[in-house]
Amino acid sequence: MREGLAGRFVGASVRRVEDARLLAGRGRFVDDIQLPGLLHAAFVRSPHPHAAIRSVDVAAARRVAGVEAVFTGADIAELSNPYVPMMALPGLYEPSFHALAIDRVRHVGDPVAVVIAASRRVAEDAAGLVEVDYEPLAAVATIGQALESSRPAIWPKAGSNVLFTATQTYGDAEIDAVFADADRVVTERFRQHRIANQPMETRGIVVEVGDDGRVVLHAATQSAHAYKWLQSMLVPRRRLRDSVRDLVENRTPLKKFLRGAKDFLSANPGLKDANKATGPTMLRQMLADPARALQMQRSMIGMLATDTDERAEVRVPDIGGAFGSKTTVPREDIAIHAVARHLGRSVKWIEDRNENLMSGGHGREEQVELSFALRTDGTLLGIKAAITLDAGAYPGVPFSAPMFTAMIKVMIPGPYRVPAMRFDSRAVASNKGTYVPYRGPWAVETWVRERMWDVCADALGIGRDEIRLRNLIDPAELPTPMLTGPMLDVRMSAKRTFTEAMARADLAGWPAAQAAAQAEGRWVGLGFATYHEPAPGPPDYFDHVMPGMGAMVGGEPAQMTLNDDGNITIYTQQVPHGQSHETTMAQVAADRLGVPIDAITMVWGDTTRTPFGLLGTGGSRAAGMAGGVVTKAAGELRERILDVAAGLIEAAREDLTISNGQVHVVGVPARGIGLAEVAAEVHRRGPSSGAGAGGEARIRPGEAIRVSCSFDGGVGGWSQATHVCWVEIDPDTGVVSIPRYLVVEDCGELINPAIVDGQVRGGVAQGIGQVLYERAAYDVETGQFRAGTFMDYLIPTCMEIPPIEIHHVFTPAEVEANYRGVGEGGMIAAPAALTNAIEDALRHRGVRITESYLPPSRILELAGVTTT
Amino acid sequence: MRIELTVNGVDSACEVEPRLTLAEVLRDELGLTGTHLGCEHGVCGACTVIVDGRAARSCLLLAGQADGSVVETIEGLVTDGRFHPVQEAMRDHHGFQCAFCAPGFIMTTKALLDADPYPTMVTVREELSGNLCRCTGYASILAAVESLVTRPTVANAGTDESADDA
Repeated sequence: MREGLAGRFVGASVRRVEDARLLAGRGRFVDDIQLPGLLHAAFVRSPHPHAAIRSVDVAAARRVAGVEAVFTGADIAELSNPYVPMMALPGLYEPSFHALAIDRVRHVGDPVAVVIAASRRVAEDAAGLVEVDYEPLAAVATIGQALESSRPAIWPKAGSNVLFTATQTYGDAEIDAVFADADRVVTERFRQHRIANQPMETRGIVVEVGDDGRVVLHAATQSAHAYKWLQSMLVPRRRLRDSVRDLVENRTPLKKFLRGAKDFLSANPGLKDANKATGPTMLRQMLADPARALQMQRSMIGMLATDTDERAEVRVPDIGGAFGSKTTVPREDIAIHAVARHLGRSVKWIEDRNENLMSGGHGREEQVELSFALRTDGTLLGIKAAITLDAGAYPGVPFSAPMFTAMIKVMIPGPYRVPAMRFDSRAVASNKGTYVPYRGPWAVETWVRERMWDVCADALGIGRDEIRLRNLIDPAELPTPMLTGPMLDVRMSAKRTFTEAMARADLAGWPAAQAAAQAEGRWVGLGFATYHEPAPGPPDYFDHVMPGMGAMVGGEPAQMTLNDDGNITIYTQQVPHGQSHETTMAQVAADRLGVPIDAITMVWGDTTRTPFGLLGTGGSRAAGMAGGVVTKAAGELRERILDVAAGLIEAAREDLTISNGQVHVVGVPARGIGLAEVAAEVHRRGPSSGAGAGGEARIRPGEAIRVSCSFDGGVGGWSQATHVCWVEIDPDTGVVSIPRYLVVEDCGELINPAIVDGQVRGGVAQGIGQVLYERAAYDVETGQFRAGTFMDYLIPTCMEIPPIEIHHVFTPAEVEANYRGVGEGGMIAAPAALTNAIEDALRHRGVRITESYLPPSRILELAGVTTT
Repeated sequence: MRIELTVNGVDSACEVEPRLTLAEVLRDELGLTGTHLGCEHGVCGACTVIVDGRAARSCLLLAGQADGSVVETIEGLVTDGRFHPVQEAMRDHHGFQCAFCAPGFIMTTKALLDADPYPTMVTVREELSGNLCRCTGYASILAAVESLVTRPTVANAGTDESADDA
């Protein structure tokens, strides 16, 4: 495909714009940033899962030639504010904590001190000389241990290791009565194990301190703006008493901040109601721990006393993958920022793989007790679910684990009719790495539900497809709300993906095929799973997760300019890190505007140039939200261009069109004018003619027209798919192979089919990895971390991942931008389809799969070939 | 210690600590940051470069061991603004997503095809199994290599499409 030619780009597998630099080795990742006089950092980390710190001796480390400074946890606490996580969930206690451990370490890898030196190797040498005297404490290594009252509380103020409990019931009927009246109640306990996101690029930051003291944070983060404001709160410009004095003496920064906040409020009118929803909960959390309230005030005062031009700005480089892990603002980044400001020097920190495995973020690890109340014919009457999630030691900020229990709760009914439900949630602390969102962080709902359908089908003696078909929401019932609140629109096509997948898989022929294989002594199985996911979901989706959150998340903003050279620039708060937005957003804009792809560039990740938004890239939101707002902005820009061109061409405006970058009368492309001429005409007409309405989109040098838009996503916003997985298990070795894997999915109109398929395959690959290879293992007895290298934590290679067959279905609709996300779905369904297939292959051995980690040794145990 | 290397056809000499790896010399001393470090313990293959014609992990190779060697890195593959056929195939097939691992895969593939322009796909899979990609599930990377080993254009330097600003 030649990108230089105009035409219809949406729907074509246009080659990636990003590849011109990334495949040439000219990407600029955070570790590629070199600055004169740059210092390097290495952290001293705890070898213990849980211990009191008696003393930290940094004298020997300070004496090493080339060491600039060594900071302990107490030193960093002088230079930064503590994290004060605050999810507005009733029943939650969230501890506040500092960037580095001060008097206690809470997981293997907990940072205790940081060495700053002329090179990373000297910093690492010196880090090895820091003497920390620890007094080991009993560790919490499992959910079971977290629930034992004899174990020490990791956060003493919480009183125990249970940090969050909540119960919610849904439906008109009383849930116990529903269960009492049911023909059958099926109950099963499931355990999903802990895994790690493991992008190929570890975490890292370069804090650039200019000669004028201005600070730029080159940070690999999924949201530049959220990262900037958290950094601004946690790393104050000056000491508290100076901030208070400044606030009194100089009101300008405060006024600027309030003006900005007012603008944000007026752009997001829902925020007022949101505060009403969250206010009382937040207040109760403050009262429960007044020290937190003081800490919060301290960081707010520091932030408010800081003038705009003193505030650190964020410039995100190319990112080598994240899968959710780079939404969390790392404690190490706070320490490095504080240290760089203190020293007045630029500092780089690049994490190594061992650190990333220990401390770079872990995903999943839940235990779920699930009961389905059913009629004999398989009709589902009600669900009882009780989930406990292992949050690890330190809460992730800004998104801590309890929020994800709420997403699991909202999504667990899936695309099925569920009349009644009770959902008990619990989050516990353990001596493990921080829980972070990992690609479909709520996915346990799909795993346990889709496992449960198979269990119920067995119990009732009906087909695994039949029981699902009896309960799947039919297109004729749409639109209809989920039991948990979010509205399903007419495009929610999970049932359609299911019926098509069953046909393609020849499910009817499977029993005979399986029997024939078994007669030859082969263990073969087939499993499938269906789900729908918010990608992004309807505008109020997050309000059902946590009241008030929808407005905080807000709409998706974008700005777009016509530049003097006739080219177009898109400004976005999205922070792509592998999703190919520079290509897909250019495709969307090019079609709407009538210009070639290479006339469009995208500016992202720079907080001085991009519109404000808190979510950045995540949650499978970009296709729907950014695709939608870019469509809208391009439409507005096109109108503005035509307004100007009508005067130049002396034709009626409605007779004009734009194609291949030329404005011309419809049908007369030979007599067109270029967009650079339109830009020149804008300048001739006067300085204000190019600015967008509202004045917030100010024209900058080199620009002729700038438009500014926001988009709330509109109705629906669901992606859905059915996955089918075939396995064959070697009875001697327990090795599971996957001869075939099928996906039938609907994410709306495909902007770029090759990119969509790549996202789906990548997600499935991670789901396969989760079940067969990957585990962030901790020793149950000692709490020691057991997966510190890539020889312990096994990332699947091209030998393990099978070909993945993808089919797309599409539900047309009267919406302008019928795009939805696909980033997470592959990983949501794959563990369910794969474990269902494994149980099918082992059914003749009487095996029930209730766990998610199934390496060969475990398969042989379950099959009774070896004993536990 | 003093070492001499020929990197992408350019002779260079530098004074290095004996413990420096080839990757560190390439990235920090020579400014060739296209070679990436993913695990620094020889598993992920992101740091793969070609040393005297063979693919090598530059995170495990000490710079001193490479003294006197001819080294090829990702930066050397673009000639006169044109992608090497391996790069071109990877772009045509949407080989990568975040592309942090891409330089390692591309150099591994180049070393493989330099030695044998028409390996079987079984061999290709085995050779590429030493490189980890977390984004793609590998199908797109394998499809790109397959396109090179099944049609006889791999020997022609460059294609008729430019590498844009590469």
